[in-house]
Amino acid sequence: MNPLLHIHQLGVSYGGLRAVDDVSIDVHTDRVMGLIGPNGAGKTTTIDAICGFVPKATGIIELAGRRLESLPPHSRARAGLVRTFQSVELFDDLTIRENLIVAASAPRWYSTMLDAIHPNRRVTAESVSDAIEMTKINDLIDLRPKQLSHGQRRIVGVARALAGKPKLVLLDEPAAGLDPDETDKLGELIASLPKRGIGVLLVDHDMTLVLDVCDDITVLDFGRVIATGTPQEIRGNQAVIAAYLGSAHE
Amino acid sequence: MTGLQGGAVIAALALGLVLSFRASNVINIAHAAVGMYSAYAFYGLRNYDVDSTERGGDLWLPILGAPSKVHILDRPTVAAALSIALLLAAFFGALLYVAVFRPLRNAPPLARVIASLGIFLYLTSTMSLRAKEIGSGAASLKLTSMLPSGVIKIGSAKIPTSAFVLSGFAVVAALLLALAFSYTRFGLATTATAEQEKGAILTGISPHRIGIFNWVLASLLGAGAVILIVGVSGVLVPTETSLLVVPALAAALLGGLDSFAVTTAAGLAIGMTQGSLVWFQLQSKSLPDWLPNNGLSQAVPVIAILVAITWRGSKLPNRAAMIESRLPESPTPRNPVAWSLVMATAAIVALLQLDAQWRLAIVVSTIAGFVGLASVVVTGYVGQISLAQYAFAGVAAFATVKLTKQGLSFPVAPFLAIAITIAIGLLLGLPAVRVRGMTLAVATIAAAVAIEQLVFNSPSLAGLGAIPRPEIFGIDLGFSATGDENFRAAFGIFAVILFVLATLAVANLRRSPTGLRWLAVRGNERAAAAAGIDVTQTKLSAFAVCAALAGTGGALLAYQSPALSAQQFMVVGALAVLALCFLGGIASISGALVAGLLASGGILTQLQGGNTGNASNYQFAISGLMLIAVAILYPDGVVAAVRHSVAKLRRMSTA
Repeated sequence: MNPLLHIHQLGVSYGGLRAVDDVSIDVHTDRVMGLIGPNGAGKTTTIDAICGFVPKATGIIELAGRRLESLPPHSRARAGLVRTFQSVELFDDLTIRENLIVAASAPRWYSTMLDAIHPNRRVTAESVSDAIEMTKINDLIDLRPKQLSHGQRRIVGVARALAGKPKLVLLDEPAAGLDPDETDKLGELIASLPKRGIGVLLVDHDMTLVLDVCDDITVLDFGRVIATGTPQEIRGNQAVIAAYLGSAHE
Repeated sequence: MTGLQGGAVIAALALGLVLSFRASNVINIAHAAVGMYSAYAFYGLRNYDVDSTERGGDLWLPILGAPSKVHILDRPTVAAALSIALLLAAFFGALLYVAVFRPLRNAPPLARVIASLGIFLYLTSTMSLRAKEIGSGAASLKLTSMLPSGVIKIGSAKIPTSAFVLSGFAVVAALLLALAFSYTRFGLATTATAEQEKGAILTGISPHRIGIFNWVLASLLGAGAVILIVGVSGVLVPTETSLLVVPALAAALLGGLDSFAVTTAAGLAIGMTQGSLVWFQLQSKSLPDWLPNNGLSQAVPVIAILVAITWRGSKLPNRAAMIESRLPESPTPRNPVAWSLVMATAAIVALLQLDAQWRLAIVVSTIAGFVGLASVVVTGYVGQISLAQYAFAGVAAFATVKLTKQGLSFPVAPFLAIAITIAIGLLLGLPAVRVRGMTLAVATIAAAVAIEQLVFNSPSLAGLGAIPRPEIFGIDLGFSATGDENFRAAFGIFAVILFVLATLAVANLRRSPTGLRWLAVRGNERAAAAAGIDVTQTKLSAFAVCAALAGTGGALLAYQSPALSAQQFMVVGALAVLALCFLGGIASISGALVAGLLASGGILTQLQGGNTGNASNYQFAISGLMLIAVAILYPDGVVAAVRHSVAKLRRMSTA
């Protein structure tokens, strides 16, 4: 079966430093892929590059058979490749519902003119209500981000990504700063996405979460892939253990 | 004034801009205005004829409410006058830093831009009042050059000695600064403070002292440069002289607001380009005659720089450079229809009941309200600090008149004019796609000045006169009439209705998906792009709406004014409107209403007893002061502050 997301020989250089070096990852529709590695391994840079936030990235990025590497970030998102941020980055001026609506609505060239005459704010995309239902944030939708707890903001960040009708979501440390209870719920949500036809690429430091939720794991160190496999295989991999212990000694 | 002289002054001013930016992250738009005041101080003191019994020695003061001038000493020497003027400049530099920019060092870019605009407005307006007292022509200050007047021949070229002295001044200053910053403790400490204030404090550096020192130095450089060049050029006009900051800003931006060497070189290059363009325009017979005198020389370097900084910018801010661009909150408009009806009814009743002067005031306020709405959309809703709104209004106004003269009638001519304005708006929106914050503010000022120089001053647009009265369905909408009938209510009602419709459209946009995208981009461009929002398209849509709104105001102005002039659309007007919007809440429609009410010659002026010659200067000066105060006290705008206290009171009363 063809992978949903096919990353081939992805590379990012900053001056002489190869921050991401020859990284290849395949994510399948029905599986959750984990991306882990010690601090500074290049995980976020990889996500940035996949989503188009690094202007000079090289390599092939293919989503459902469509090449994306020449598209700007917003077009990649519209094509179905939607990410969350380590630092959440909600729109503080908008309510939670509005945060989801902007992610769901694709404007046409005449939208501005139409909006000036008829703001039609009742139109709520199906994906918005789906995202609200999946993430169980009904109680929050009329609040603003600043009124939420850290954990709630993280969940809303995921909800906003889902409202954009993704084929695949890239979650950048969604569990950072969550309590164990919240992490469990998030894990359930992530695990349920493949059943709804949404692929997942998950970056996180929480090993329990990653090992629990992911079907496959790719391990990065110094910008290179040092191991790929099932959680079982990764657990016993000597290179992975060395990378993590090595970084602990720094 | 030759190119080299101009270039030297641009370079010296630009060095001051770099200094104050390095010390406190502020692009000080009022930098040349401080120099302008110092020049008034110096030439005021020296204003006596050596062979006569005149005393001179009057120090002009830029303080509203205080005496315009004080007599300090009789017949001061150059050295004495210069010492006093420079001392004042140093004092101003220190004052601006301590009282305004140090408190604002962590404020959002908009508050910092607003504060420096406030200073600019205050100084230029108070000194315009003083300039009127001084008088023009023979009565004006004697501007004599302190520089040697000879020429030096190099080959066949004759170059004034003063040009060498001036450029020597700039180059030496740049050299000294570069050396000081690389090798002395002071320079290193400034760099350290700019990068990491907390870290610097921990190593025992006082950022406060460093900041004062840099600002004093910047101020002295600027004052020295302006005093010298005013003597050479013989021109000292408050606004014009203060706008010397525009090419200086260009040079400083080319130097990345960091490099003294590149900045100086860029300044000299800009000056010399301007010089050669003047020469070229004088020589060339093939240039079209619509090109205004000096138009090319003023506009071309500025445009080149716009293109350069736009090119160097990037579409999305990178992960490390995420600057917090906190802006006043933007409340969702409530009951816009009810509000509009109340507003329209009040205005229409006033138009029908009150006298001609009131009708004129209401129309002036309405047109300013359009420009205010344009600012609210582009700056308040989308966070793009733009100062080109009056340039948009001017394009529409002149285009309306020109198209009408070509034979198009109402309403075709104004519609087409607004369409042209939207196209210009999209063009000026391009820099916003790649640069942000204070740099964008500077880019839009530069663009506005370029349009002013190249288009509004064009001989082909001079003396076009009035255009035929607008008429629709047989109703005469003309503004002028004879006797008490003048400033007809019909035109006023037409303008008010258009304004109310525009307000409703803006309220609709704010609540619609378009408005949500605007606010999303304003809050966080990276996250917006990640959510599938086309940031470029979103910003451009705001610039288009902004141009359409300002353009409608401009088209109305074309029918209101008996004759258009470039002065009506100077960038200073845009500064004032942005300022007034900020007072009223830049991110809500109330900001535009306040801008309209308080506009010079508008309803507030009328309430105060009508338009006297100096009203606009006083009003600009006072709004300048208010701006500085508001930027420091309420970086979120006054209305937000009021709303918060009302909410607080409510909570207290229910508790």
